[in-house]
Amino acid sequence: MSVSTPAVPTFGLDVLRRLREIVGAENLLSQREELLVYECDGYTIEKQVPDVVVFPTTTEQVVQIVKLCNEFQLPFIPRGAGTSLAGGSLPVGGGVMIALTRMKQILEVNLRDRFAIVEPGLVNVHLTQRLKGTGYHYAPDPSSQGACTIGGNVATNSGGPHTLKYGVTVNHILGVEAVMPDGSVVTFGGPAEDAPGFDMTGLFVGNEGTFGICTKAWVRLTRDPAAYRTMLGIFETVEAATQTISNIIGAGIVPAALEMMDSGIIEAVEAAFHFGFPLDAGAVVLIEVDGLEVAVDEEARTIIEICNTSGAREVRQANTPKERLLLWKCRKQAFGAIGRLSPSYCTQDGVVPRTKLPEILRLIVESGKRHNLRIVNVFHAGDGNIHPIILFDERDADQVQRVLHASDEILEACIELGGSVTGEHGIGVEKISFMSKLFSEADLATMLKVRLAFNPTGLCSPKKMLPTAGACGTEQQIVKTGVRAAM
Amino acid sequence: MSLPTLAAFADEFTPATQTELARFMADNFSTRQRVLYPVGGRTALHFGCPAVEPGVAISTAKLTGVIDYPARDMTVTVEAGIRIETLNELLSHERQRLPIDVPQSHRATLGGIIACNAGGARRFGLGTLRDYIIGISAIDAAGTQFKAGGRVVKNVAGYDLCKLLNGSLGTLGLITQVTLKLRPIPEATRWLWASFASFQEIEAAFDKLLLSATRPIAMEVLDATAAVQIAADARTSLPTDGPVLGLAFEGSAREVAWQIDTLQAELKLLGPRQVVITPDAEADGLWNALTEFEVTAEEPLTFKANVLPSRTMEFMELAAREQISVQAHAGNGIVIGHLPDRVTTAQTAAALLTPLRRFVRQYHGNLCIVNSPEAWKQEIPTWGESEPSWPLMQRLKEQLDPLDLLNRGRFIFPAPVPMDQG
Ligand SMILES: Cc1cc2nc3c(=O)[nH]c(=O)nc-3n(C[C@H](O)[C@H](O)[C@H](O)COP(=O)(O)OP(=O)(O)OC[C@H]3O[C@@H](n4cnc5c(N)ncnc54)[C@H](O)[C@@H]3O)c2cc1C
Ligand SMILES: Cc1cc2nc3c(=O)[nH]c(=O)nc-3n(C[C@H](O)[C@H](O)[C@H](O)COP(=O)(O)OP(=O)(O)OC[C@H]3O[C@@H](n4cnc5c(N)ncnc54)[C@H](O)[C@@H]3O)c2cc1C
Repeated sequence: MSVSTPAVPTFGLDVLRRLREIVGAENLLSQREELLVYECDGYTIEKQVPDVVVFPTTTEQVVQIVKLCNEFQLPFIPRGAGTSLAGGSLPVGGGVMIALTRMKQILEVNLRDRFAIVEPGLVNVHLTQRLKGTGYHYAPDPSSQGACTIGGNVATNSGGPHTLKYGVTVNHILGVEAVMPDGSVVTFGGPAEDAPGFDMTGLFVGNEGTFGICTKAWVRLTRDPAAYRTMLGIFETVEAATQTISNIIGAGIVPAALEMMDSGIIEAVEAAFHFGFPLDAGAVVLIEVDGLEVAVDEEARTIIEICNTSGAREVRQANTPKERLLLWKCRKQAFGAIGRLSPSYCTQDGVVPRTKLPEILRLIVESGKRHNLRIVNVFHAGDGNIHPIILFDERDADQVQRVLHASDEILEACIELGGSVTGEHGIGVEKISFMSKLFSEADLATMLKVRLAFNPTGLCSPKKMLPTAGACGTEQQIVKTGVRAAM
Repeated sequence: MSLPTLAAFADEFTPATQTELARFMADNFSTRQRVLYPVGGRTALHFGCPAVEPGVAISTAKLTGVIDYPARDMTVTVEAGIRIETLNELLSHERQRLPIDVPQSHRATLGGIIACNAGGARRFGLGTLRDYIIGISAIDAAGTQFKAGGRVVKNVAGYDLCKLLNGSLGTLGLITQVTLKLRPIPEATRWLWASFASFQEIEAAFDKLLLSATRPIAMEVLDATAAVQIAADARTSLPTDGPVLGLAFEGSAREVAWQIDTLQAELKLLGPRQVVITPDAEADGLWNALTEFEVTAEEPLTFKANVLPSRTMEFMELAAREQISVQAHAGNGIVIGHLPDRVTTAQTAAALLTPLRRFVRQYHGNLCIVNSPEAWKQEIPTWGESEPSWPLMQRLKEQLDPLDLLNRGRFIFPAPVPMDQG
């Protein structure tokens, strides 16, 4: 794959020297072989080596780095754990990569006021671990939570399996401290809700690194559920499964999770783990309700009834915490199993209204047939957030082309069905060309104005999110999709 | 209620369609550049700084269409002029709702409540408007129609302008159409009220109640005066022998009943004076009275303060000592206060508010004026003390409304010098 030339000349030694002065030699990488690790994130098809990677340990250091970049007109880009599946942390413009992974303290946990203050490089699951036993947790739990950072979650407005009931990242962020693209430090929101003025926190979340660098976040803590009921509905057809999902939601029940796996995934999972899934089933749905002990049994009963009247072949119930974990393990390791089916695979991320799930899944099957590709599905059905996984061999150029076409077809179908091209992975560089299909020129112009208020020079994360990316020039032709980690 | 700001509107325009409105605004932008005042149900026009210049009121009265209600997707797309009561009525046929508490819902419009970021007691358990708006369309001052978000419940494409427009008081764009995420209407709702000897005792009770086995969806605290007023308005009885704490539950009948029992047992250890469970027949009236409290008062001045939840009781005590009647969405640190009748001048009001303002500033909060005689607004800052992020907000405003045509002078931005009116 081609590597684009950096927009800036290679660094002068004085820049490196000054960066080293700011962060210390131990917090700076500039050797080519060291930099290779940072040439891409979870989206591996496009690569661009940054000129230098710095690891600030304080907000003040971030300020100085950003000011230096302004002085030398160097592009800069924040990076968390690099698990983005959309090329969000790809340093398209070269320049200085600011990796926040050494700013990872939990600065405060305040249970009385139900918030925590964390640094951006904190790994999501570390907060969960820290809160264990307090009766509270941090609700957003992307499947990558063992690696991804809260700063990255804030930047991409991450979701996860529990989004259905608990919402996405933005619903749990009270405030952020950010170093603006000009080097000033601003705090939006904070532990007291409803500050007068615009909801800058809400606007900031999901900016994909283009509004500045998040250096601190006030996150909302949520009470732990008292009880869970976890079930597995087994269906003859995908239609029956998706209709059931719609019926559950239509009945006024908001489960904690509604995750669907089709026969392709069932086959892969069964081959890998011998879990006991029926291989002749068209689809299974992992259903979890949580809440009060008195409530979950009632809800579980209603759900089982709905499943049965909607044509489920069988509903299995996890009767012990161990059985529950087993079911979840199966869901979460589905991706690991795919590796056995195919040398490479590509996960798409689209959204449709939940009643349109049968339709989009039909279209996915058709698209697979048309392009002679195998596509399997495991996804957040309750939200209508599909993740079709296209199996292929990346050594076969023709297959790669067909994968690209199928991906495009599926995403365009999502738009046609009234949905979106990304439910949680973001636009990054991967989906920039879809922005003008989702939004009008006027919509994009308005979004650009918003960015200009934060990032007038365009030095911060150039060429991201919007097709006309800031001051740094024209849209580049993006080579789409590739071998990617799952979800 | 008188609407003094309306006097400043020289003219009024009521478009029949969004397109007609866009044309009107584009035309205004390229010709007379008059100031535009978006108007919904006219329930909160006094909210914010008074309009200082004549201009055109733009009414959304005819933009009331239901664009799409795919009930099984639990979303609805409607035009912004729809009344909240009409919307609730529509949704109730499908046993769904937008769980936001809105005063004067028979008049207030969706666009209006979004512009003001309205909300009440349910926010503790169910969140605020920002959590329910998944798509928005608006028209900027130049007449450009723009949108953000979409019609699906999960979507991260593009910047989240839904959040930006929510609470922007119509200063960035005229909201024309909105897509909302909905919730099921629960089977049951019930309140339990307990009075305590002091606000400190309630704070001590919170320590335990925040880890209660129950999951309340509202945590209200009223001082005795507010409790008397709300009880009278709701034609229900509340304990009034001290500050009173109210917890609400929603869910299945069984779930709610279990929580009320459990909470009663938990409360026994916390020494309340009196406990009252609101009879089901009076619950709707009570929700209503609690929601209307911030707007029903005849009092000279009403404020809304935000503060750390753990400092809310201290704040209420400080206020109640001055006979300010107070209601708090205590789980969220939001306090509504009505100054007592004895306050007849801006100076006395300002003097009364000064220590309160100082207190909230100490604990990350602010204090805004919801309602007061117009003349007082010169002396008492409507939007509280300036926050460090305001200059950035100003840059956003300049980007989206460079001529400052939308609700000029009414929000946090520096009031312009009035133009010669001749
Ligand atoms: C196996 C796997 C499973 C996944 N599952 C999910 C899932 O369930 N739900 C989901 O939503 N996503 C999922 N993802 C995608 C990814 O994990 C999320 O997007 C995550 O939030 C990225 O965090 P990160 O720390 O890795 O950020 P990075 O990948 O390093 O960066 C992502 C973006 O955020 C910006 N950024 C990072 N830190 C900051 C900061 N401090 N300030 C400003 N901008 C910043 C970057 O510039 C970039 O644009 C998954 C990814 C993988 C590999
Ligand atoms: C601090 C605060 C104070 C409140 N005070 C009151 C009160 O005193 N009385 C009351 O009944 N409720 C009040 N509310 C509750 C609630 O906000 C109002 O009921 C509701 O917002 C008013 O809706 P409306 O349609 O009547 O709007 P209007 O009263 O017509 O307008 C209110 C504001 O919203 C703007 N606006 C209206 N429609 C649009 C639109 N489509 N696009 C852009 N901007 C628009 C207007 O320019 C105006 O600034 C208050 C809420 C808050 C948060």
